[in-house]
Amino acid sequence: MKKILALVLALTMVLGMGSVALAEGNAQVFWYTMSDTYLASVRTALNAKFDEAGISYVDQDGNATQTTQTDQITTAIATGTDLLAVNIVETGADGIAQNVVDQAKAAGIPLLFFNRSVSEDVVKSYDKCCFVGTNYEQAGIMQGDMIGDYLLANYDAYDLNGDGVISYVMFKGQEDNQEAIARTKYGQENADAKLVAAGKPALKFYDESNAQKYLVDQAGTWSRQVAQDYMTTILAQYNMDAGNMVELVIANNDEMALGAMQALQQAGYNNGEGTTTIPVFGVDATADAVAAIDAGTMAGTIKQDAEGMAEAIATIAANMIAGNDMYEGLNENFTVEDGWKVVIPYAVYTGE
Amino acid sequence: MSEIKPDANKKVNQLREMDARDRWRVIGNWLLDHAMIIIILLMVIYIQIQRPAFLATASIVNIIQLTATRLPIALGIAGAIILTGTDLSAGRVVGLGAFVSAILLQKADLANRFLAGMGPWPVVIVLVVVMLVGGIVGLVNGFCVAKFKLHPFIVTLSTQLITYGLYLTLSNAAQISNLDESYTSELVIKPMFRLGNTPVMSYVAFAIIVTAIMWFIWNKTTFGKNMFAVGSNEEAARVSGVNVTMVIIGVFALAGVTYGYTGFIEAARMGASTGTIGLNYELDAIAACVIGGVSFVGGIGKISGVVLGVVLMQLIMSGMTFLGISGNTTYIIKGLVILIACAIDMRKYLTKK
Repeated sequence: MKKILALVLALTMVLGMGSVALAEGNAQVFWYTMSDTYLASVRTALNAKFDEAGISYVDQDGNATQTTQTDQITTAIATGTDLLAVNIVETGADGIAQNVVDQAKAAGIPLLFFNRSVSEDVVKSYDKCCFVGTNYEQAGIMQGDMIGDYLLANYDAYDLNGDGVISYVMFKGQEDNQEAIARTKYGQENADAKLVAAGKPALKFYDESNAQKYLVDQAGTWSRQVAQDYMTTILAQYNMDAGNMVELVIANNDEMALGAMQALQQAGYNNGEGTTTIPVFGVDATADAVAAIDAGTMAGTIKQDAEGMAEAIATIAANMIAGNDMYEGLNENFTVEDGWKVVIPYAVYTGE
Repeated sequence: MSEIKPDANKKVNQLREMDARDRWRVIGNWLLDHAMIIIILLMVIYIQIQRPAFLATASIVNIIQLTATRLPIALGIAGAIILTGTDLSAGRVVGLGAFVSAILLQKADLANRFLAGMGPWPVVIVLVVVMLVGGIVGLVNGFCVAKFKLHPFIVTLSTQLITYGLYLTLSNAAQISNLDESYTSELVIKPMFRLGNTPVMSYVAFAIIVTAIMWFIWNKTTFGKNMFAVGSNEEAARVSGVNVTMVIIGVFALAGVTYGYTGFIEAARMGASTGTIGLNYELDAIAACVIGGVSFVGGIGKISGVVLGVVLMQLIMSGMTFLGISGNTTYIIKGLVILIACAIDMRKYLTKK
C-alpha cells in the first residue's frame, strides 16, 4: 500500500512539473449573463482579439446573479490570474462593485469593468482599474431624438386613430439598472421634446392607469419573450378594431423590441406591404434587429459598437497584463474621460 | 497501513473465501456505490496535475469559505429531502433575509438610508430576527405540507413566489448598501487568522457551529430520530406514536431558519442586499445533498454526507475555473455530475428492493 501511495505521489509530482503552466497572459472574463445577445457579440469579438494577442482567457457566466459572479471572481483570484474583466451584474449599489475592487486590490490583480456601469468613486479607489463602456445616458438620449425625428417625418401616418396624439408603450429591461432607468427616461423625454418643439403634443402612454409609464421585465433579463408576452396581452385589448391601437413601441434593447415586433406580427401587424406597421425602436443593433429594420418590420435602433468595445477591452487588457500604461495605443475613436472611463460611442441605425 | 481494523479484516477474509466471480461482483458493486467520490477524486488529481496551484493554500481557503456559505442551506434542505420532499423556497428566503439584515444594519445618518432616522440595531438581535423571518416561511411550508397533504414541491414553489413578491413589495427592488462595520468587517467578514497569506473569515467558524448544532439535532434528539422515522415510512411512524405533523413542520421551520441565517451572511459578504441574492441557491443545495448521499427515497442521509456533498460541489466548480473551462461547458458538467450522482443513488436502493 505504502509503495503504491509513494508511486502515485511521485507520479503526481512528475506530471505536475511537466504540465504546461498557464499561458503568459491569462484573462478571466465574467459575463453578467451568457444568454444576452448583444454581449454574445462582444464575447465573440473579444475572444478573437484575445486569440490574436496570445492572451489565454476563460469566459464565466454570472447567470444574472451577483452572488454567483462574486464567488467566481473570488475563485479566480485564488487561482492567480493576470486580469479580471468584469461585466458586473448589479449596477445599482456601490457596495457590490467596491467589494470586487477591494478583492482585486488586495491581490494586486488589474481589474477592468465593462459594459455595465460602475461608479467613478469605486473605479478610482484602485489605480489598476478602469471602466470601458458607454455614456449610459447617451443611448436613451439618442433613441429619443431618433424617435422624435422619425415621427415628425410623417406624423399623421403614425397617428393611426387620428386623435392627434401618438400613444406608446415602453418596455424596460430591468427595474433597478442605471442604463434601463436612463433609457426609459430619455427615450420618451427626448422624443417628447422634439415633438413639442415642432408644435405637436407629447407622447401618451397607452394605458392611463399605469402611473409608472413602463412595463418591466421582472426577472431583470431584458428578455425578448417577456416583451412578447406583454405585447400580446396589450394587443388583445388595444388594437385597430377597438380604435385604441398602440401607435409606437419603445424598448430598452433590441431583444425586447423584437419580442414586441413578433407579437405585432402574430396579431397581423408589421408584416410588410399591405399591413399596418407600428414603429418599433430598440437599442444595441443586434444582427436580428438590423435584419428587421432592413426588412421594414422594425423602425430603428441605436448601435452599440460590439467590435469597438471588444477592441478597447483587448487593448487595455494587454496593457494591464504587460504592466504598461492602461490606455497606450488605444484607438482614437474612444475617449478616455478623467482617466477612469473609456467611452465607446453609439450610432443611430434606421436602415441602409 | 500496519493496523487494519478487525472489521475490514473480516471483509477481506470474506472476499478471499469467495470464488472469483463473486469477488469481482462485490468489488464492482463497491466501486459503483462509491463511483461519485471516486470520479471526483480522480478529477481533483487530474486538476492538481494540470494546475498545481489548485491545492495551494489560497485556493483551499477559497473552497472552504465557499463551502461555509453554502452549507447551512444544504443542511436545511437535507431535512426536507429526508422527508422525501424538497424545498424550493430556500433561495428567495435567503434574499428576504439579506434584505431584512441590510435594512436593519445600514450605517446611521446616511442621506438615503432605507429606514430613515434610526441607527443600526444590535447585530445579535438582527440575526435572531432574520432567523425568525426564515423560520416563519418554513413554518408555513411545513404547515401546508403536513396539514393539507400537499407535495412540498408545490407548497415551496408557491412560497418561493410569495416570498419574492413580498421582498419586492417591501424593498421596491432597492439595493441596500453601506452596511455597518459592526456587521461586516467586525463580524461576518472579519479575518479570524491567516493561512499563509490568505485570511480566513469568521463566517467559516459560524458555519462550523451551525453544522455542529444540526448534527446534534439530527443524531441526539427525539425530533431528529422522528425525522428519519417519518422519512422512511410515514405510516409506520404514525402508528408507533410519532406526531408526524409536528415533525414535518419542525423540519421545514428549521430549514427556514438556516435560510434566514444564510441571508444574514450573504448580505455582509456581498456588501449589499440586492434582488438576486439567493437566486437558485436551493438547486445547488439539493444537488449537493444528492451528491452527498441524502436520498430522495427518504429517511436516508447524514450530516457528514451533506458536508461532503457541498465540498465536492465547490471542488468541481472551483476546479473548472482552474482548468479554464468556459461558462457554457460548466453547466453541462454540473448537470452530468448531478445526473450521475442521482443514478448511482437510485441504483443502491433499487438493488435492495
